[in-house]
This record gives sequence, structure tokens and C-alpha cells, in this order.
Amino acid sequence: MFKNKIPLSVKQNRAGWMFLLPAVILITVMNFYPMFNALLLSFQSGKGASLEYAGLYNYTRMFSDKVFMQSMFNCFFYLVIQVPIMLVLALILASVLNRKDLRFKGLFRTAIFLPCATSLVSYSTIFRSLFSTDGLINTVLLKTGILQTAYDFLGHPMSARFVIIIALIWRWTGYNMVFYLAALQNIDYSVYEAAKIDGASAWDSFWKITVPLLKPTILLTLIMSTNGTLQLFDESVNLTSGGPGSMSMTMSHYIYDTSFRFVPNFGYSAAMSFVILVLVMVLAIIQMKVGDKRD
Amino acid sequence: MKKNFLVTLLALVLSLSLVACSNGGEKPAEGGDETNGETLTVWCWDPAFNIYSMNEAAKLYQKDHPDFELIVVETPWDDVQTKLSTAGASGDISTLPDIVLMQDNAFQKNVISFPDVFTDVEGSGINFDDFAAGKVAYSVVDGKHYGVPFDNGAVIAAYRSDVLEEAGFTLDDFTDITWDEYLEKGKVVLEKTGHPLLSCISNEVDVVMMMVQSAGGSLFDAEGNPSIADNEIVAKSLETYKALKDSGVLVEVSNWDQYIESFQAGRVAGTVNGCWIIGSITSGDPEQAGHWSITNMPKLVGLDTATNYSNNGGSSWLLTANCKNKDLAYDFMKSTFGSSVEFYETILPSAGALSCYKPAGESSVYGEPQEFFGGDSIYQKVIDFSGKVPSNNTGVYYYEGRSAIADAAAKYIAGADLAEELKAAQEQVLFQMGQ
Repeated sequence: MFKNKIPLSVKQNRAGWMFLLPAVILITVMNFYPMFNALLLSFQSGKGASLEYAGLYNYTRMFSDKVFMQSMFNCFFYLVIQVPIMLVLALILASVLNRKDLRFKGLFRTAIFLPCATSLVSYSTIFRSLFSTDGLINTVLLKTGILQTAYDFLGHPMSARFVIIIALIWRWTGYNMVFYLAALQNIDYSVYEAAKIDGASAWDSFWKITVPLLKPTILLTLIMSTNGTLQLFDESVNLTSGGPGSMSMTMSHYIYDTSFRFVPNFGYSAAMSFVILVLVMVLAIIQMKVGDKRD
Repeated sequence: MKKNFLVTLLALVLSLSLVACSNGGEKPAEGGDETNGETLTVWCWDPAFNIYSMNEAAKLYQKDHPDFELIVVETPWDDVQTKLSTAGASGDISTLPDIVLMQDNAFQKNVISFPDVFTDVEGSGINFDDFAAGKVAYSVVDGKHYGVPFDNGAVIAAYRSDVLEEAGFTLDDFTDITWDEYLEKGKVVLEKTGHPLLSCISNEVDVVMMMVQSAGGSLFDAEGNPSIADNEIVAKSLETYKALKDSGVLVEVSNWDQYIESFQAGRVAGTVNGCWIIGSITSGDPEQAGHWSITNMPKLVGLDTATNYSNNGGSSWLLTANCKNKDLAYDFMKSTFGSSVEFYETILPSAGALSCYKPAGESSVYGEPQEFFGGDSIYQKVIDFSGKVPSNNTGVYYYEGRSAIADAAAKYIAGADLAEELKAAQEQVLFQMGQ
């Protein structure tokens, strides 16, 4: 009988790598190779196809680009206001829906998660028409006498930004809630019962049991939301067209403009994309340092 | 059981999508390189307009060239631009068709950014003097003709004559007028009938750009440098726009569909746009038939160069470098769009496709009265307007300029100082040009 001299662990390791190989090859070819090329591209400058190496020119240049700075401000504005509201809402909804005595749980969960199943473009378009001067919101406000004349929500910088924030909350709260719901399944109900017997209020057990035990999940959703918000594109393009002017435009929207709408400047676009990458990385590292106390 | 079913379903979906992908790659319509000697592939976007015209051109050409075949791939303008940029940047132009339809405003930008992607039409034998000079200028790069002019974007002002009548006006009261008169009369119409005269899409500055061109102004000078700051014409245009908006004679809507709906549903009693808008006017409520009338646009006040004529939109055909049978493409374009009055007579009545081909303007088809417009020979009017449009330097950076103007307009309407905002816009464009 043929005897194999290779130890079992090595064999298993090899089998493991064989299983991983297709994914590794695909990710390298489809992800890392383009990323590396984009990095090279970000050091080049020029119109369309005629590019030349320009060193760090693109990177130094963008800090005097008023439109890019505006779009970065907008992204951080969305981040700072929308993400906390959304995550707190998702957490509250998740703990309400996790109650043992709640009826029609399935129905509520589905209803709250459903917005995530809608396409980004279509929900943006619907929000756009809801908030237009002759849209539903204005009609309701006029009919109820709250407003005397229709308010142009998308025509004013602040209100346009808040329409985007409202849209984002509607679209993504359910998505984050599902993570919390899943994590809540891992908290034994007896912990809550014990707290109740000891005289803890619902408020106490939320802050002292739910939140600490959900910390890793909160961290995960926070990083994902930060990442998503800094790369926001569809809402800016379809809901407000970045307007009025470029007062609600996001960084990704501006990158699209500099690549496809304006005279194509792919080097500059790539450089801006890498700035977003660095921003996301830095924020994620800070969040992990602050939030994750596991050693 | 349930699990098995799911697995089967998943496998089915995956294999179907794979099949779909592989089919997509084999479609001959995807590229110009798989054509036989007598086939041309074209990208354009409007089934009722440019696609229809292209197919009609093919039918005409097939009469003398029975082997000729034309494949039109419906591709929205935004996709045309994205695909061209991607192909141009990667250097792989095999994905491109033989001919694309190019927006006139994007013409210079594309040909200059991707010089290897396009082919000039100098050798086609088309006599460009037969086309309106302002139109041809869009598609000349470095002294070479790159485009075959297609549709006309001469600006018209359309009004609901029944609404004007209700307010005590006739079309003559709105012909050869200034924007100041338009504003005054518009206020009367608004007061008496409740209808604004004009709607436009917020954050799109089409109306401002039309005003600028109507007085012979541009955002760029002849050398292509931005001329926005201290530009009297641009400033006057933005002031006029703000006054119209503040008075309620102009209402802003949030997108294209709402814009079209605003006059089709009769809420707004007129519009000012390129003459291609006629198609959207006539396809509205049939009850409005006979109640529309067309005249020239108002002109800016206080400028010596001001006229009642301008241009908005319009497109030209552009050959790509992926066109393997250049002679066929040349001959096809020359015998249809380049020289056939018969062809233009076919596409006008059915698609409302107004040409920039001057000999076609003399055709009797253009003089026929149109019932929808109260029996007026509107096409004759448009041809007349298009001959009077002042030319405009789009420059390479047209979209950057337009964007900067939209920024300036938003801030100015919100109360900022106009001169300061125009200066900022100029700096923004200069910055974006400094690649």
C-alpha cells in the first residue's frame, strides 16, 4: 500500500489554500491590481488619454480646490449628523423589536428592513419628487396651513442637505437594525430577567446591558456607516444633483464629474479616491482604538 | 427538501446569468470590429428622433446599396460619454461603434481629450458650406471637420395662445420683445390667469446659457480662456434670471419629467428652449392642439449685441477610429445627412427633426402649416431663427464653466454679491483647467 509521508496538518493546510486560491486570484486580479494601477494613475495628470507623471501635484492641488473642499465638508456634515441619529434609532428599534411580548414582530421587522431592498436610484428619485416644490411634503404643509407658500427644499443648501440626511436615515436604519437584532439573539434573556428582579428599569437595562454587550456590533455598524457615508454617490447625483450649485455634492459625485462630465482628468480623480480611502482608514482606526477595549 | 430547492434555484440563477453574460459578448452590435464590409454600427439615444432619423437614412442608402446594413444600438447620452471616456482612457477602442452621436457642447472636449479615438471627416466630400456656420463651428478641431451636423438647437419661445388671449395679449405682444417686457407682461398673465410663463429645472442653467449666447456672449474667449468675471452679458443674464424667478413668472421644477409635465399639463403657459422641444409640446394633451404658438425668444436689455435668437442643445455625428470601413461611412454620411434634401423631407414631418442643412430649408415641406400650432408654418420660422443665432465659444471646458455658473447662480439667488460670485466662478474654472 502506498504510504503518504506528508503530515496531516500540511495536507489540510494545502487543501485549505486550494479552496482559497480561486477567491485569492479573483480578488488580486479584480481588486488589488486595479487599485495598484489607480495609485500609479493618481501620480499622473493631463487631459483624457494624454497623461504625464506629475508627482504629488494632484494631491497638493486638491486642497486648493474649492469644490472638492465643499464636497468633503458635505460628506462630513452627513457623517456627523446622520450616522449617530441612524445608529441610535436602529438600536432603539432593535431592542423594541426584540421584546418577547411584542406581537406581529415579523411584520414590523420586515417593514423596517424593507427600505434596504429598494434601489438607491429609485428611492433617491422618489425623495426628490416628495420634496419638490409641488411634491407631497409641500402639499401637506400647505394644506395644513403650516406653510403659506411652498418651500423649495432642494433649492436651499441647508434644507437640501437635510433632505439627503432624512433619505439616508429612511434607507439605512433598517439595515443596521438587522445587525443589532442578530447580536441581541446572543444575549441570554435571563440576564434581563435577573436585572428586572434586581429592580432595573427598561432604561437601565438598555444602557447597562444591551449597549455594552452590543459594543462590537455597534463598532462594526459605525465603521460601515462611516465608510458608506464618505463614499456617498447615488443620493447626491439623483436626489439633489449636488445642488443648489455644489452645496450638497459629495466627494464621489465630484470624482464622477471630473472623470466623465468635465474634461476627463482621471489622474486627479484617482488621487481624490485615495484621499477618501485614507480618510476612511483613519476614521476606522480611531473608532477601533476608542471603541474596542478587548486586549 | 427546502434546502435542495434553494440550492437548485441558486445554481439556476447563476448559470442563467453566466449564459446572459456570454451572449452579451457575442452580440455583433457591441462593436464595429465584427462587421462585414457593408455594415456600420451607430450609438444614439432617442427612438423617436435620432434613432429614427438614422434608420431612415439607412433605408434611403439601401436603395442604391442593397448590401448595406446599419445597426443602431440605443445608448443614452450619459452612457455614450462614459463608454467613450473609458475606451479612450484605456486605449482599447475595439468596444466602440463606427459612428456615435455627439452633443455639440461636448464635441471639443472629447476630440481634444481623446485624439486617437475619433476620425475626421475631411475626406468625406461633404460640403460644409451647406450647413449653418455656427453649427459647423462646434465640430471643427484644429481646423479639421470632425462632425457631420445633425439636429438644430435654435431657440424658440412657445406660448399657449389661449392663455395669452385670456390675459389680453396676442403672440405679437411676445414677438421681438425684451426680457423686461416679458417680465411685465408675464406678471399680468400670472395675475389674470394664474399661469407662470416659464418653467426650468433647478440647478440646470439652460435658460441662463441661452440668454448668454443670444447676446453673442460665451463663458470662454476665442483662445479658450474663461471670460466669466466682469462679463457684462453673463451678469445681465443672471440678473434677468433672478428677476424672473423672484416675480414668479419663472418657476423651478426638480427634474426633466416635471419640466415636460409642467407645460403638457397646462400649469405653465409657455417655454423657452431649443426647437427640439416641439416634439414634447405636440405629444402632450391633445386638447391643447391649436392652442400653441411659436415665436422668437426675448432679448437681454441694455446690451448692444443682444438678439432674439440663441441655441440650446443640438448634436452631430462623429466617426470613431474603430471604423474599419471609412470609405463606406464617408459615403453613407455624405449621401444622406450630407446632401439629401429628400432625406430631410422624410424625417421632418414624422420626427420633427429640423436640419441645419441649408438647402433643405428651402424645401416646401418646411413651409407646410402645422395644425397643432394654429396653422402656422412653424418650421419655416425655426429655419429663419437658426440663421440668425450668434455663434458661441463652448471651449473645451464647457461643462466646467456651466457648473461654475450654476454655483454662482445658486449663491447669487440666495443673496450673495453677483460680481464676487462671478469672480469666484472664473477662479473655479481656471483652477479646474490647471491640470
